[in-house]
Amino acid sequence: MNAPLPRGADKGLAGCHTCGKVSPVELGACPRCGSHLHLRKPDSIQRTLALMSAAAALYIPANMLPIMTVTELGVVTENTIISGMITFWQTGAYPIAIVIFTASILIPLLKIVALSWLCLAASGKLHPSPGMLGKIYWFTELLGRWSMVDIFVVGILVALVQLGNYMTITAGPGALAFAGVVVLTMFAAMSFDPRLLWDRLELLRLASPQLKKEDT
Amino acid sequence: MIKGFSRIRLLALLPWPKPPGGPHRSVCHVCDTLHDAQPLPEGMAAYCQCCGTVLYQNRPASLARATAFSLTSLILMVVVHSFPFLVMDAAGIRTKLNLASAAMALVNEGSPLLGVALALFTIVTPLLLAGGLIYVCCPLMFGRVAPGGVLVAKWLNKTEPWNMIEVFLLGVLVSLLKLGKVADVHFGMGFWAFGVLMLCMAAAVAGIDRDELWDRLEVAKP
Repeated sequence: MNAPLPRGADKGLAGCHTCGKVSPVELGACPRCGSHLHLRKPDSIQRTLALMSAAAALYIPANMLPIMTVTELGVVTENTIISGMITFWQTGAYPIAIVIFTASILIPLLKIVALSWLCLAASGKLHPSPGMLGKIYWFTELLGRWSMVDIFVVGILVALVQLGNYMTITAGPGALAFAGVVVLTMFAAMSFDPRLLWDRLELLRLASPQLKKEDT
Repeated sequence: MIKGFSRIRLLALLPWPKPPGGPHRSVCHVCDTLHDAQPLPEGMAAYCQCCGTVLYQNRPASLARATAFSLTSLILMVVVHSFPFLVMDAAGIRTKLNLASAAMALVNEGSPLLGVALALFTIVTPLLLAGGLIYVCCPLMFGRVAPGGVLVAKWLNKTEPWNMIEVFLLGVLVSLLKLGKVADVHFGMGFWAFGVLMLCMAAAVAGIDRDELWDRLEVAKP
């Protein structure tokens, strides 16, 4: 473990991101499945930052605008994500309030923060600690999809509650913005290349041979 | 036909083949560390020496498992779409809901994009995943590739993250709690089928390792 292990990029070898076959990068395309070969995802940091900024911008209308409009006996109430959560909390449904809070507010925020942090570390602005950052990356990848839960709730309620004058529910503009946040953060996480963190660590190691190997 | 039967070799029961040529190597997709890809006994996994990520694993009876669970998933999808998912009684009106009608309702109530997203993540993606897995894995059991099998296998990777069945199920439970005071809601047959579908899809996707699938595809005959 003391000697640094060989890395694909050092030997000009790229693992195909689709089928995993290791081939020389100069081939350009994977001989097995035809996917484009590259040592690192192209423009990874810019793409991640761009998608993430778009998601961060949409996060504001997603929380401010109503995700659904309930018309009950002619009375119109507009629900935002936060108001729905507060209603659950006030009626004593604590677990479900916590689930909604985590999936709809906490995870998208955490994802945006985590991806910014990863981009900063990958571009050398922060000290990269790939072990921990890798866990964060994996965590955001794993949890990102669960934020869709609120969109599905709106979909189910809109479909079920069409009771004419008694009560109808329609989706609001916030729901679309929120779906945008989820999809964009998923794409942002996909376009990030964790190998960039290890590249930074390698550079640090080469710069100071005395540097102890990071806890990974 | 009986004559040829003994000659059919079920590759599913044959060990993970190594494609011709070499050396066989594997690169960790997280830290780019280069490893020699040693063949693994069934049930074992290879981990990256540097960061501990799973490189590849040899799952027992992988092709048979992927095929069986995908086929079960397809059958369950028929059940999910032909029976009501939720049944609600409110204000003297009984409303029956299934996945397609939920997506349609969103489209009709002025949120076409949300309706399309719902249909994509809960109907189209699972269908493509299960269908694609059968299309690729079933012929592979006989050492064959169906026409366009490589292309389908490429797309399997891309569709996987967008399969949100389990998230939808959580959404159903939250909706029930929201409606608890307004209406009397109960589960239809479609809901239970959907729960089992979630498990089967997870098992189907976990049935075969990516590297194994592609190694088998590489040695397969058209």
